[in-house]
Amino acid sequence: MGNEVTVRSDVASKLRGETRYVADIHLPGELYGGVVRSPHAHARIVKVDVEKARAIPGVQAVLTADDVPGGAYGPTQFKDWNILAKDRVLFVGDEVVAVAATSEAALRAALAAVEVTYELLPAVLQPEEALAPGAPVVHDEQPDNRPMHVQLERGDVDAAFAKAHIIRGGRYTTNRIYQGHLEPIGVLANWSEEEGLTIWAPSHIPYRARETYAAAFGLPEDKVRIVVPPIGGSFGAKYVLKAHVIAAALAMAAKQPVRMVFDRYEDMLTAHPRVPLTIDIRIAADAEGRFLGKDVVVWGDAGARVYWSPNVMATACTRPDSLYHFGAVRAEGHLCYTNHSPTTCMRGFGNAEMLFAVESVIDEIADGLGIDPVEIRLRNIVRRGEVTIHGYQLDSCELEACLRQAAELSGWARRQALPPNRGLGVALGNHVSGYRGIDSRFEGSTAVARLRDDGRVEIETGEIDLGQGMSATYAAIAARVLEISVDSVIVKSGDTARYPFGIGTLASRSTVMGGNAVKLAAEQLRQQLTVFAQGEYGADVELIGGVVQSGGAAHSLAEVAARYRSRYAGDTLEVRASYRPETDFPGKDFYGNPSPAYPFAAHVAEVEVDPETGRVRVVGYWAVHDAGVVLNRTAAIGQVVGGVAQGIGWATMEDLVVAEGQVKNLSLLDYRMPGASDIPPVSVSFVEVPDPHGPFGAKSVGEVAIDPAPAAVANAIANAIGARGRHLPLSPERVWRLLHAEEEQR
Amino acid sequence: METTKAREVVQITLQVNGEAHTVEVEPRMLLADVIRHKLGLTGTHVGCEQGVCGACTVLVDGEPQRSCLMFAVQAQGHDITTIEGVTPESGLSPLQAAFQKHHGLQCGFCTPAMILTSEALLRKHPNPDEAQVREALSGNLCRCTGYQFIVDSVLDAAAQASKKEGQ
Repeated sequence: MGNEVTVRSDVASKLRGETRYVADIHLPGELYGGVVRSPHAHARIVKVDVEKARAIPGVQAVLTADDVPGGAYGPTQFKDWNILAKDRVLFVGDEVVAVAATSEAALRAALAAVEVTYELLPAVLQPEEALAPGAPVVHDEQPDNRPMHVQLERGDVDAAFAKAHIIRGGRYTTNRIYQGHLEPIGVLANWSEEEGLTIWAPSHIPYRARETYAAAFGLPEDKVRIVVPPIGGSFGAKYVLKAHVIAAALAMAAKQPVRMVFDRYEDMLTAHPRVPLTIDIRIAADAEGRFLGKDVVVWGDAGARVYWSPNVMATACTRPDSLYHFGAVRAEGHLCYTNHSPTTCMRGFGNAEMLFAVESVIDEIADGLGIDPVEIRLRNIVRRGEVTIHGYQLDSCELEACLRQAAELSGWARRQALPPNRGLGVALGNHVSGYRGIDSRFEGSTAVARLRDDGRVEIETGEIDLGQGMSATYAAIAARVLEISVDSVIVKSGDTARYPFGIGTLASRSTVMGGNAVKLAAEQLRQQLTVFAQGEYGADVELIGGVVQSGGAAHSLAEVAARYRSRYAGDTLEVRASYRPETDFPGKDFYGNPSPAYPFAAHVAEVEVDPETGRVRVVGYWAVHDAGVVLNRTAAIGQVVGGVAQGIGWATMEDLVVAEGQVKNLSLLDYRMPGASDIPPVSVSFVEVPDPHGPFGAKSVGEVAIDPAPAAVANAIANAIGARGRHLPLSPERVWRLLHAEEEQR
Repeated sequence: METTKAREVVQITLQVNGEAHTVEVEPRMLLADVIRHKLGLTGTHVGCEQGVCGACTVLVDGEPQRSCLMFAVQAQGHDITTIEGVTPESGLSPLQAAFQKHHGLQCGFCTPAMILTSEALLRKHPNPDEAQVREALSGNLCRCTGYQFIVDSVLDAAAQASKKEGQ
């Protein structure tokens, strides 16, 4: 199992309905696993009575905190996870008791038979409240409820604001977005004394999952194997999950395989959504619209445990500063524990959130000065060859060309003469191609390249394809190096016991990190293959068109492979190579060059607002990207359109509504995501200039695809109605209220 | 507390992909679960169990239906078509080939249902315009693609079919 694909075969099997997702995989004797969850945001566990549940026929394991290891662990440096709650529950959905049974009916009966007595405790539900003196403490080890506090100033911000001609800003808030993966969270776990844990888990960072789960159970890492089935969407939801740990604990206790596949209700109840941010922002500019200073204070709701919220906070506090010249910048970030379900990353990772605020304020400055929004951006953007205020080294940057092209394609000049309730909005975005701060110990990627018996080339990687086209891109890279057909390359990944270590698919890493490793491995394979063939056929050998030519004779790669085996005791020719980028770990001061290559984008959205209902329709969209040289055009366009669609949903319709710690809209009927009629045709173009560090000049595209989208839509709405929405989503009610704000005040 | 009772099991015969399958099911079982777990046809995916996401769509007498909103016992006497029923022995159907050509998929979870919904649309309207395609697909959620390439795939499949017809 794992992801074994040739470039075309995984697409065909998905189309034929033959792809086996985790819910389609079964082991003999497997049990159904489930969890008793807290109905309260914060409560003391007074008593847990599992006797009745244990007595139900078919129940094979009932676990409480007393039955599992109690040590704290976690997937990041913040070790605040447990396996099951012991003394307190910290959020609605917190795991208290786990059950495994031979049938779903027995499982349901057992879950219902568990009796937990709670004593309610005051909950803290807002980050700002969490910081107030006397606030309920979520984790005793962190009495200030603030696992991360960013404080950063470059340049003299107060002096910059003192000499400003114009200052704009305000409070902006971003919403709790559900990643909306169509395949619900699922896992299958098995335990044997000899081999340890095997977990079939759709995780796109399986090696971090392995490390985390090994720590949870006090096992050596080689006793935990993660097999990654094809993943039915993630967007940040399927990293490292408690569901995997609990299934594993049940399998260890029952000594039988345990499957746990959430229904949509449980998936949404336990969802770890996008970190909602409250952003107080000010930007200062001179009379010509040149920025002098930027000052932000950000509060982030981490929920009750740390997943990837610190990276989100760090990104929000810093990333847009490498998109524009702000002069002097200051950021303070408060990441706060609350009694909400833990929040984490989603595509865009804090940058899209902050860009919503930044790009909105830039438009307000442009309005205040009577400068066109495109023009004010042209006066302030970063350009190739620069080192940004935080040390990003921009060895490629076609942002200006992207912006000019987006303006031209969208007919930006029309903006002056649009009919009422129509608007055009522009926004820019930047991102990384791998981020050094994801793992303090190392960065890069490793690939294996092997000449198979059949003459095809097999590539192994530790990075994970989620359908975004990674394997096809890797195959194209290897094929280009070896001058063979792309169909002759097979890409394998998704099994920690078989394939090389990889940090995984996050931070837009796969094209540049994994792609460079594949390129290096393919180059070494080519070189060793040539040396071997010279020994076999003569010094004049050349690898052309998938065959080895020598002295007028052509030898197929299958023949070369057979000869290699006969010379080397049946072994196959294979090489292993690691790409190690020269990047800087962003320390406490967040200074340095954290990525080898930075992608950029300029987006323009056109909206139509219904003044009667406040409903926004996005009627046109233009996205121009600098992704370096595009290696897989259809996949890259697919990434951009998909990212834009998510951005439109985020900006106009989606929100997990919480009250008293309870999510109120736990179904896809009540949490609406865009359908085919909600998304306009999206025009996607690329400005292609090679980046010196990307494989064949390529940069990332996956996350920068969404970064400008909420801001572009928000700016278009502001242009349409002449009023600015500062709180996402700009739902019909919010837009209607903005339209009628004056009447309401009267 | 109530203990689990022995459940009533009924024998039903379902016509799936042109073949009769006789299975024993509890009357509460959903068509989606019987298709997946009793018939082993795992190309039908369960995404929400509420009839919203459309991932479990099958054709019932040629019409797209949510197999998560239908009891298996209700499906007796009807022709059920799943993704396996529109997939050729080897290779791809013309519609599937159009999805491959236009990259009308990413993670693949919504894909079989998209194919079936499009198949039903094209049988009824061989030459739909873009708005008709978007309307027909509006009950099938896709979180990856933003729909554009799916729409392109369906339109191209229609164009290819009518070109063939014209020859």
